[in-house]
Amino acid sequence: MELRKIPFRRPLKLLFLLLTSMLIATASAAVYYSLVMQPSVTITAAVVAFKEGSDWDGSWSMGTNNTWCRLALKAYPNATLTYDEPLNLTNTGAPVTIRLRTVSISLASGNPQVSNFTFINFTLHDETGVIKGSLNYTTSGTDTWSTPSMGFTAMDASDEWYIAIQTKAAAGAEANIVADIEIAVDVQE
Amino acid sequence: MASELLPEFFALLGIDLFLMLSLLSCLLDDRMPKALPYVYQIAALAGFGHLLVSRNFFTVFGDYMRFWYCFIYLLVSLANIVAVNIYFAAVKKQWTLAKVWFGAVSFPTILISVFFVSDYCYLHGVHFPPFLQIALVVSAVIMGTSFAILLSTKTLRSQSKEEKEVR
Repeated sequence: MELRKIPFRRPLKLLFLLLTSMLIATASAAVYYSLVMQPSVTITAAVVAFKEGSDWDGSWSMGTNNTWCRLALKAYPNATLTYDEPLNLTNTGAPVTIRLRTVSISLASGNPQVSNFTFINFTLHDETGVIKGSLNYTTSGTDTWSTPSMGFTAMDASDEWYIAIQTKAAAGAEANIVADIEIAVDVQE
Repeated sequence: MASELLPEFFALLGIDLFLMLSLLSCLLDDRMPKALPYVYQIAALAGFGHLLVSRNFFTVFGDYMRFWYCFIYLLVSLANIVAVNIYFAAVKKQWTLAKVWFGAVSFPTILISVFFVSDYCYLHGVHFPPFLQIALVVSAVIMGTSFAILLSTKTLRSQSKEEKEVR
């Protein structure tokens, strides 16, 4: 029996083509969907970055891409030393919320040398000078640091805020005692 | 946020056009070569392979390269649609079928393709000049109107009457 003589040859051909078409179309759409859903990572500049303030000292270091910096600060015995605007924070992107967070402090509580310090205060000000938060490390003459924390605060796009720092050592404090404080800036986009 | 078009969308559109061509050429198999539906199915399968390659080398091929090879695939499928149109008009001398094909297949597919390509270009910062956009809208209106007139019952009746008289 010849295939040509079968009366349903054309509908069968159409059905076959229809099924294969549906298969190809569905599989293609699935591949395209997997492409759309594929996560991609694009390198962009940090939305919030550090910037040298008007009281920036040339001996301090500003890291690549302004994402980190290292400040060497002093503390005078029985006298408060204020750095008005050593470091700025700029927002080059969208509105965000930020906070300062303690990562570590190297003269750990319990070390007798801690009592040489009275306080080390980091205060975050907005562009108008309003205080948005602070991290105050105080000893009250003991060998224990207070553990400061700060809540998130909203920072608008294109804002440039500054961090003021105040230090004070205890009266009769030993010279050349160093406390290393590592602070992170948390940014929620 | 709506995700923007990927260049592979043009390949997907090309695949669907080839599949549509395959089914239409099967329906019109008394006027077209018998192997044509299968050829178009193979072309659609090639497009599918094309998508798979694109997915596996997603990070290797840049946006520019991906756009061009997908766009060329779409152009090939559109060229096939136009070629079938010309085949009906010039080779088979079936003017009515050629007109219907133009109105129902060639023109809409070209218009849809132009729409998506211009949308893709707009999203990627390439702007079509205003006169081209106006020309596109004007030609769409004119062609749509002429299609409606061509396919009106009155015109089709007079056409079939003329054909009968010729026979």
